[in-house]
Amino acid sequence: MLKVENLVTKFGSVIALDGVSLSAQDSKITTVIGANGAGKSTLLRTISGLEHPSSGMISWQGESIVGRRPEDIVRMGIAHVPEGHAVIAELSVEENISMGSLFRRRKFKSDVQVAMDEAYQLFPRLQERRKQLAGTLSGGERQMLAISRALVSRPKLLLLDEPSLGLAPLVVEQIIDSVNTLCRTTGLTVLLVEQNANTALGVADHGVLLALGKVVADRPAAELKADATLRAAYLGY
Amino acid sequence: MNTFLSAIFSGTSRGAIFALVALGLVIVWRGAGIVNFAQMGQAMFSTYIASTLISNGNSYWIGFVVALISGAALGSLLDVLVMRPLSNKKKTELLSSESMRAAVPVIATLGILGVLQALAGIIWAAEERGFPAPAKQEGFTVAGNVMPFTAFDVFVIGSVAVTLILTTLFFKKTGMGLAMRATALNQEVAKLSGIRTNRTRTLSWAISGAASSLAGLLLTPSSNLSPNTLDLALLIGFTAAVVGGLDSPAGAVLGGFILGMVISFVTFYDTPEDVFLAILAVLLIALIVKPRGILGSRDSRRV
Repeated sequence: MLKVENLVTKFGSVIALDGVSLSAQDSKITTVIGANGAGKSTLLRTISGLEHPSSGMISWQGESIVGRRPEDIVRMGIAHVPEGHAVIAELSVEENISMGSLFRRRKFKSDVQVAMDEAYQLFPRLQERRKQLAGTLSGGERQMLAISRALVSRPKLLLLDEPSLGLAPLVVEQIIDSVNTLCRTTGLTVLLVEQNANTALGVADHGVLLALGKVVADRPAAELKADATLRAAYLGY
Repeated sequence: MNTFLSAIFSGTSRGAIFALVALGLVIVWRGAGIVNFAQMGQAMFSTYIASTLISNGNSYWIGFVVALISGAALGSLLDVLVMRPLSNKKKTELLSSESMRAAVPVIATLGILGVLQALAGIIWAAEERGFPAPAKQEGFTVAGNVMPFTAFDVFVIGSVAVTLILTTLFFKKTGMGLAMRATALNQEVAKLSGIRTNRTRTLSWAISGAASSLAGLLLTPSSNLSPNTLDLALLIGFTAAVVGGLDSPAGAVLGGFILGMVISFVTFYDTPEDVFLAILAVLLIALIVKPRGILGSRDSRRV
């Protein structure tokens, strides 16, 4: 289980996270929703070690991970897919995926190829294009590639930042479905950040609503989805 | 005709060495985002180490191998002791502007160059000394004619070719090579993939250090060794890297050969005194016509 308590992250004098507390239960999808600038991405970036919190606690499976480097946090089983289909355009599809398992190639040699094949099975389009440069892929394929790169590190917790950003609804559905299936069949824990609240709450077990760096609601997803007042106040529809 | 052939041969051999210097610059540029002005100072230092070993009665090859190793060691040491603390994000937040943050490490390399040259002057005295070549520097004789091509030229081109092939294979075929390319292209994604970017950056300093030490070993037999001998080589290598594209290893090699030819033709058809002018002219033309370099990528930073 991932537990975040009173997390504060600042950029100079700007407070992006203002005492955020939440948790992500094992083998469940927890979604963090909220408007632009609510601090959603900063939350994931602080968990994965890209940003340093000024105070607060993050614990993963009972162990504090504050102050650890991103390279070490991945090794503890937390994989972060950052916003904007983060792939390396100048590398091939295959290189992008295998990058995520470089650190496992000695200790888990036999599993590296297995993990890669599983990723191709999940997104067959990537296998067709494995020799192509990632820069030639469509937005949806890039997102699939970024997720695959994270999956081959064999995470127990997947931090997914706005996978729907800039994608057609059909593609979003396909990607969210894949993540959902993955969670339900392999027991992967997912922390999904989304601006597209309806889609996210549709698959999530639990929902956290963030506004201006603070948690305003923390409830079962279905309940949050049904709350018209909250939606009107914080999401604008 | 004979002059023309001589110019071509000499251009190829010199070009090979400049390609190596440019490649060293490109590797650190891609790996750490820094133009390393200390590079040929490091090469000078390890060439002095080789020179000391050889003059103490060791064979050329012991000096050769030790120079390459110490070049790699010095490169990694500089990264760990100087560059890594400088790029440490928390500390450089004192320097608020982005351009300052980019400039400080580059200025530091200039400082390192000064320190290395001063140290070499103190340790080995500043006067010039000769440096041996592992092969004959007289031209081959074919049917009674002395050709403008020497056994040493063959050695130069051969060792540079081997280095280029090995580095290409390393970058394309090994996991560590992939980790280094990923770090150069997108540090954040590399870190999130579990790549220890501090280590890959140090490795790029080591490879660059070894490559430029090889360049130092190959340059000094024809120019003698002093703390400043390799300054011009840095200028030429830098120009070569800019001409070819500072972020492109293949471009560096191409740029190296272009510069080798330009210098060789100016030397043979004009006078050696104009070489410096010619290099600056090439640099100027490159910056005006193709500021990203012949093989530089579209969105790379302009020089």
